[in-house]
Amino acid sequence: MDTDALRLFVVRGLTAVAVVAGVAALVLLAASVENSALFSHWQPWILLLNICGVIALMALLARKFWQLYRDFRDHKPGSRLTVRTAVMFGALVVAPLIIVYLFSLDFINRGIDSWFRVEIKQGLNDALVLSRSALDLRLREQARRTEIFARSLRELRGPELLQRLDEERRATEAKQIVVYDASGRASALSSDTPMAQQPAPAPPDVALQVAAGRSYVSLNPLPNGQYTIATAAPIADAVSAHPTHRYVLIDYEVPQALSALAEAVQHTSSQYGDLSAVREPLKISFRLTLTLVVLLTLLAAIYGAIFFAQRLTRPVQDLIAGTRAVGKGDFGTRLPLPSRDEMGFLVHSFNDMTKRLRRASEEAQRSRQAVERERERLSIILSRLSTGVIVTDRDLRLHSANASAATILGGEFSGAASDANLAQFATGNPRFLKFLDELRARLQSGHDEWREQLSLPGERVLLWACTPLPDEREHGGVVLVFDDITALLAAQREAAWGEVARRLAHEIKNPLTPIQLSAERLRRKLLGGMNAEDAQLLERATHTIVQQVDAMKQMVNAFSEYARAPDMRLAHFSLNQLVTEVAELYRLQDPSAEIRLELDPSLPDIHADRGRMRQLLANLITNGIEALAGVADGCVELSTRQQRAEGAVAAVICVTDNGPGFRKELLGRLFDPYVTGKPRGTGLGLAIVKRIVEEHGGRIEADNRPEGGAKILVMLPVNDQDRSLFAGAERRVERRRERA
Amino acid sequence: MKFPSAIALALLLTLVAPLSHPASGPLDGDFQIHSAFVVIDRGVLQLNVHVQYPVNDRIRSALQDGVTLAFDLELNITRHRRLWWNASVLDMTLRRELTYHAVTDRYVLRSDQGVEQESFPTLEEAIDKLGRVEDLPVLVESQLRGEGPWQIAVRAGVRRGRLSDTMRALMFWSDDWHRNSDWYTWTLTL
Repeated sequence: MDTDALRLFVVRGLTAVAVVAGVAALVLLAASVENSALFSHWQPWILLLNICGVIALMALLARKFWQLYRDFRDHKPGSRLTVRTAVMFGALVVAPLIIVYLFSLDFINRGIDSWFRVEIKQGLNDALVLSRSALDLRLREQARRTEIFARSLRELRGPELLQRLDEERRATEAKQIVVYDASGRASALSSDTPMAQQPAPAPPDVALQVAAGRSYVSLNPLPNGQYTIATAAPIADAVSAHPTHRYVLIDYEVPQALSALAEAVQHTSSQYGDLSAVREPLKISFRLTLTLVVLLTLLAAIYGAIFFAQRLTRPVQDLIAGTRAVGKGDFGTRLPLPSRDEMGFLVHSFNDMTKRLRRASEEAQRSRQAVERERERLSIILSRLSTGVIVTDRDLRLHSANASAATILGGEFSGAASDANLAQFATGNPRFLKFLDELRARLQSGHDEWREQLSLPGERVLLWACTPLPDEREHGGVVLVFDDITALLAAQREAAWGEVARRLAHEIKNPLTPIQLSAERLRRKLLGGMNAEDAQLLERATHTIVQQVDAMKQMVNAFSEYARAPDMRLAHFSLNQLVTEVAELYRLQDPSAEIRLELDPSLPDIHADRGRMRQLLANLITNGIEALAGVADGCVELSTRQQRAEGAVAAVICVTDNGPGFRKELLGRLFDPYVTGKPRGTGLGLAIVKRIVEEHGGRIEADNRPEGGAKILVMLPVNDQDRSLFAGAERRVERRRERA
Repeated sequence: MKFPSAIALALLLTLVAPLSHPASGPLDGDFQIHSAFVVIDRGVLQLNVHVQYPVNDRIRSALQDGVTLAFDLELNITRHRRLWWNASVLDMTLRRELTYHAVTDRYVLRSDQGVEQESFPTLEEAIDKLGRVEDLPVLVESQLRGEGPWQIAVRAGVRRGRLSDTMRALMFWSDDWHRNSDWYTWTLTL
């Protein structure tokens, strides 16, 4: 059982105890009012039930007080209102209750005191004195008569004595006359009862009294309310007049009227005495009982005041809590309907309000989510675009930009604060600075819409367009869309050159053979008929013609090769084996050529066009050997290795030499057609290599080695799957490299 | 007093004892049962008890002010039962009242119903008479059903008399004129 359940159980248990005890006490009290004997029997139970009820009620009340104090201390919403309401209710109940209590106390005191007024007591005492006086007179009279009668008995014995007793009894209307002898036995008896039994021995006090020579008289009450007077007197000796230890005991009956009056006085006095004795205890008991009842009522009233105050203010507390919850954005708050009164209407209105707010909030949430989804979609689209997009204003504050923009401009926008100035990204970046200068100039001149090419440092050409944002024209917001068309232009240039090469090959190659044949015919025809000097001249001329035509043929063939783009014939083969074959071929052709191989045996077979690969290797080796012309200990080194990038496996061919290296001004255009650093180069070797690499989805890099010489790195995906992965990875590497 | 009421009273006294019983009362003094026994005479159980009741000036003064004192002698005879409450055989109370007869200046001792009455010139004589119960027939032997032994308990009590039960109940809080002796018990075997 958890704490809350235990607490609820205790509270309900105490409430049940209080209610059951109170009801049971009332029932017992009501039943016992009709029967006082029952009250005596049930009194302990009634009191016990009341005490249990009081204890339970006090426990409940203590809990309520603790709740109020805790809520007040913790500034719980509505706690002050509850306390004020409880105090008000309590005051409304307690004040009249205390007044009634005080009035009742005074009433009890006065009422009980009035029962025992001094006059009544005095009257009773007077009545008692009067009764005693009346009876004392009779007692003295009967005592004197008895003494006289006793003296008359001194000389009487036997029948004379009995006769005298009878005479006296009749004369005095005594009930009984008994003469006791010295031994205490009745020696003579005269009674008004015909069948009187032997009289009992005289009471000890009578014997003692008369033994001392004194008369005895006493007034004795009877159960029937009658009184008897008992008198006794010693009977003296007939001669010496000394006591003889004989005595006479006479019982007189008090007249009935006098007895009744005396008994009434006695009875009333006794009753008054009984009541008077309980005067103070009764007042105390009444006070205590009244106090207990008032206390019970008070506790119940205070408990009820707190209970109803809490119940009355609970909807207000709920409203406050609900309002706070709504203030914090919890629109799902629903308050319980307390009743159908005004408070219930208020709560209903609140619930209706929260319901509408929740709907509106959900609608707004959905809208936000839709906008967010659109934003994310746009962001994804922008991030996947190879076109750079920048949203800025006329002050060049960056609103948004995609990754391609950063790649193209060589900047870094990620992590940039909103509204950051674009200039801070361009620091130390001449390409970006040039871009910003152009942008700033155009915007400051009032242009906000254009589409044109922009040349940037590093032989980069951008096609950029600017469009004002529709809702931010007055704020100067523009969106810049730009693309790096350097490669496109190069491709166009390459295509144009290819066309030129094809035309040249077509137009030039055809007349070359007749020229060569004609030159050789001229030599054969004329050489025999000429003198030595002319023959030598002819020999040199025709040789030059033939040699130059061969050179032109080679050049035209190179042009033709460059322009020709036959279909790819892909096949799996060992790149290491191909490298070894090509290298061996060059070693055979030119034994002086130092070609070193460093091949990775773990390199997998490559899926590529074997012929193109052979041409690629031949061009690279040729390029290297030609670069070593005039270099002592020249050496071309070919190495292969396997490289993993972004999940793709690539075969890397690295060709290095220890020649003079590339000229710096050519480094950016090494792979362009007709760009060569050699006096007799066509400028097509590396261009063809690059095209082969690109046809295989690979990448090529050329640079100078720090220790001297050139270095060309070719990375080729080993199969089609790696080719597609490698393409994506290459794009990212390209971007990183551009940023770097 | 029956058992449930005794429980209730015990609980109640535990709770309100500090309120209802002051340190000293008007009935202070030697109050005990000196001896008690039962004699079976011709098949009748006769009770003999000697009780020492308290006597002091407060009692005397209260009596002379008109207060009536009730002297109860409670007798319980129960039959022992194993593993259960004892069975009640007899539950009786001998009630007598002592008053001071102001008119005759005598102390009057009455039985509960007022049928029997005796008067004494002194309080001591009246108390002495009250304290001696002799050959009081309480039960016929044949009423002792079942097998013994029987538990006999006697207790004497004094309280202010002539108050209605309601009044006495109301005075529960403040009535210190109420005192009982300890139970005097013994076992009767036939």
